[in-house]
Order: sequence, then structure tokens, then C-alpha cells
Amino acid sequence: MTNTNLLKLNLGPQHPSTHGVLRLILELDGEKIVSCKPDVGYLHRGMEKMAERLSYVQYYPTVDRIDYLAGFFYSELFCEIIEKALNVELSERVKAIRVLLLELNRIASHLLWIGAYLMDLGAVSPFFYTFRERELILKYFEKITGQRMMNNYFIFGGVRRDIFDIEDVEEFLEILKTKIKDYERIIDSNPIFLQRTKGKGVLEQNVALNGAITGVNLRASGVNLDFRTKHKLYEGYEFTPIVSEGKDCYTRYRARVLELNESSKLIKQAIEKLKQNSALNQTLIQPIGLKLPAGEFYSEIEAPRGLASCYVKSDGENKPYRLKWRTGSYYAVNLLRKLLKGTYLNDAIAIAGSLDIILPEVDK
Amino acid sequence: MNIIEFKNLFGESELFGEKIIMKSDIAKSLQFLKENYGYNILKEIIAIDNRDDIELSYRLYSPDDDEDVIITTFVKGEAESVSKIFDSAVADEKEIFDLFGIKFTCNDELERLYMPEGWKGHPLRKNYEENDERLKWND
Repeated sequence: MTNTNLLKLNLGPQHPSTHGVLRLILELDGEKIVSCKPDVGYLHRGMEKMAERLSYVQYYPTVDRIDYLAGFFYSELFCEIIEKALNVELSERVKAIRVLLLELNRIASHLLWIGAYLMDLGAVSPFFYTFRERELILKYFEKITGQRMMNNYFIFGGVRRDIFDIEDVEEFLEILKTKIKDYERIIDSNPIFLQRTKGKGVLEQNVALNGAITGVNLRASGVNLDFRTKHKLYEGYEFTPIVSEGKDCYTRYRARVLELNESSKLIKQAIEKLKQNSALNQTLIQPIGLKLPAGEFYSEIEAPRGLASCYVKSDGENKPYRLKWRTGSYYAVNLLRKLLKGTYLNDAIAIAGSLDIILPEVDK
Repeated sequence: MNIIEFKNLFGESELFGEKIIMKSDIAKSLQFLKENYGYNILKEIIAIDNRDDIELSYRLYSPDDDEDVIITTFVKGEAESVSKIFDSAVADEKEIFDLFGIKFTCNDELERLYMPEGWKGHPLRKNYEENDERLKWND
């Protein structure tokens, strides 16, 4: 077959199942994908350039827009940089508050993914079910932080104010437990869903490692790597990273559902810690006129979409000399070149969706 | 892996803080670390414009040892691609080409990533001037 017979197809950037503005340039031979070239940058906001212009406190409100579904993680990364640079230790209660909110955020993010993924595959109602539960989390965020999504709640050296109404979270966890069973009943026994995901988009271990894929996608390929196990905030917490061997889209879906349970466990432990430590005890850093000592600082965390990290080089001024974000989705988009090659067009959406790509994180 | 051990293997390298500074042979040393010491994830490549030259830092990670190692090199205009060794480097190198203008040899996927086709200059360079006419639409 010569190249002239190939059909070039633009998937996106406005396609609803690309979760933002991802454009995939596919070359098709019949229905088979011969090559895939991702085109990104439609949502580029110059996050790294912006950092070099603004002081730390001016820049801080923008960081949770890198991934609007998991904003707390990026706030945490940026605060961690400042805290590391100025050697500020967090109190037990502040740590517990952060873990509680991070894990709630992870649940919210995974819930949205489950709904949106099922919608990609043509099932409309799960979207409403998962959004119903996610709404409870967002309501709680609104109560605590004043915002539903871009919370800006962690501040340098602590949190903006103390947390309250923990009963809401406990109540939510009870609701979620029963709802997860409902999701499993409605989704896991659906023959259409199973046919479209089982054995599709197989991601081999070495391909995943080579492509710097982290997070749920890597663990679903059988690698036990969860950066929470070595993170300072999660010290003293017990949980088991979900490692499964299936490597296909279905395994990645199952891994995310199982992670909901693990996150619930972590939240329960955080609530226990909150009950033990009632004093907030935080040493806040004065953000106005804040200068970091010259040097290089690095922080990383396991975000819902894989390893996220922040690197800052400071030359002693009130602005970073260079700031770099690492996000999980960026490498997942890069992986699509390999993963979609040789598959059929009607599987492309199922495979691309299963990697949980979000575009603001890619475009930065 | 012990950094001293690495230094013994690659004589020309220099220890600086937690980084290993290499003068050349980036691809060869990365491949060596990957094959012999299990550093099989390239977490990211960080580029920094030091005004005189561009600093490239390769942050490698070994899942077995749970350890990072950073290999640093200084380049001007052109650098050796490691995309044949780590597939993720294709993405990093594309980004560095777009934002810093470093050309990676043997990476045939280099093109504008975030910036539109035909954009002048590379935004994260310290000598970047915002003189593109498209920025003046509001005047």
C-alpha cells in the first residue's frame, strides 16, 4: 500500500472525548491507524514564563490552574518548594489537613474520569452518577476554602484557616462506599463496556517505563511505584498501592475504582490524626517581599495523573530564575504515538481516554 | 548507585552538589546507567538559560533503588538527543526546542510545540524580546 492511499484524519481539537483541546493527527489505512501525531499547545498559558515575571505570592494563585481537576496537588508542590527553601516544618494538624484535602481531590478527579470515560464509550448515565458524588466533595471544598475548584487554600507554611465540619467527610465516605458498589454493578457487568476495553490498548511494562509513564497507568501495567510511599506528608499513613497486571484499558479503569477505596482509607487515617491534634500551630511565612535563598529546590508528589513535580532555581531575588513543572499527562500524550499505532480507529477514543489525559496539564 | 562509583567510571565527570556534571557523552552515560544500574525512568529534562550557555539536567530515576540521579551538561545551540534511549525524551526535547531553541541531533520530531508555526524567538531564553507583531493586537 502506498502512502497516497492513506487518509489523514484530524481527531480534535474540538472533539468532546479529547477532554480539552488535544488534536491527534491520524493516518488511516482503512480503519487501521498507521501513525498518530499529537498536536498540543492550544491551551498554552506560559506558566513557566509567567513565573519568571511574578513574585512568589503573585504567581501562587495561578498554579492550581495547571490541572484544574487536581489543583490542590499543584498548590502543595509550590508551597513545598517555599517551605523547603526556608526550612519550615509543618505541624501535625496542617499535614493531616493537607492529606485529607489532597485525597478528597484525588477522589473527585477519579470520579470525574470514570464518568467522562464511560461517556466517551457511549454510556451517558454514569456521568451523572459520578458527578452526583463529586458534587458532595466540591460542596465541602466550597465550605472550607470558599472555592469549588481553584482553591488557593494551602499557603506558604500552612493552610489559610482551620478545617471544620469533618462529619461531612465521614458522611461522604459512607455514601461513597455504597456508591462504588453501584458503579461496579452497573459498569463492570456491562458487556459493551467490557468488549470495548478488555484487551484494548495494552501497555507493556517496558514501554510504559521508557515513556516515563507514572501513576495509575504504570501501576496497571504491573509496576509497583507510588510516590506517596516516600512523600513526607504521607509518613505514618498506611495504604496499599493498587498494582494490577492486566495492562489494558479495563485494568486502568479498575485500578482507578480501587484507588477510590485506598484514598478513602487515607482520609479516615487523616481524620483520626485531626482528632488527635486539635491545635493548628502553624508558622506562616510572610509572603510579601518574600525572597528565596539562592539555590535549587525540587518537590514531587503523586498526583491523580502520575508524578507531578516542581523545580525552582532561585538567584536570591523575589522571583524564580527558572521554574519548571513536570506533569503526568504530558508524557501520556507522548505515549499515544506508540499506543495508537496499529489499532483501529474505533478503539482510539477508548485507549486515549483510558490514560486520563487532561490538557491544561499538557499545555502548561 | 554511589555517585563516586559513577565518577570512577566516567573520568571526565565532575561532582557538584547532588549533580553529576558531564562534559560530553550524555547519551552514552545515560544508556550505561539504564542498562547496568536500573535507572530506567527519565523523569524529566530541565533546561536553564545561564546566559552564557544552556544547562540541561537529566533527572533519572531507579524504581528498584528508589533513587534519583541528575546528569548535567552545558550546551550551546545544539545537543545530543537521547530519544533513542528514552522514549519520553522525545517530548522533553520537543519542549526544550520550542522554548529554548536547542536543536537535538537525531531527534526528527523537532518542531514548534506550544508556540505557533513561524513564531520568532524562544520564550524562555533570557534574551527573548517580545517583539512579535501578534502580541500587539491590542494596541
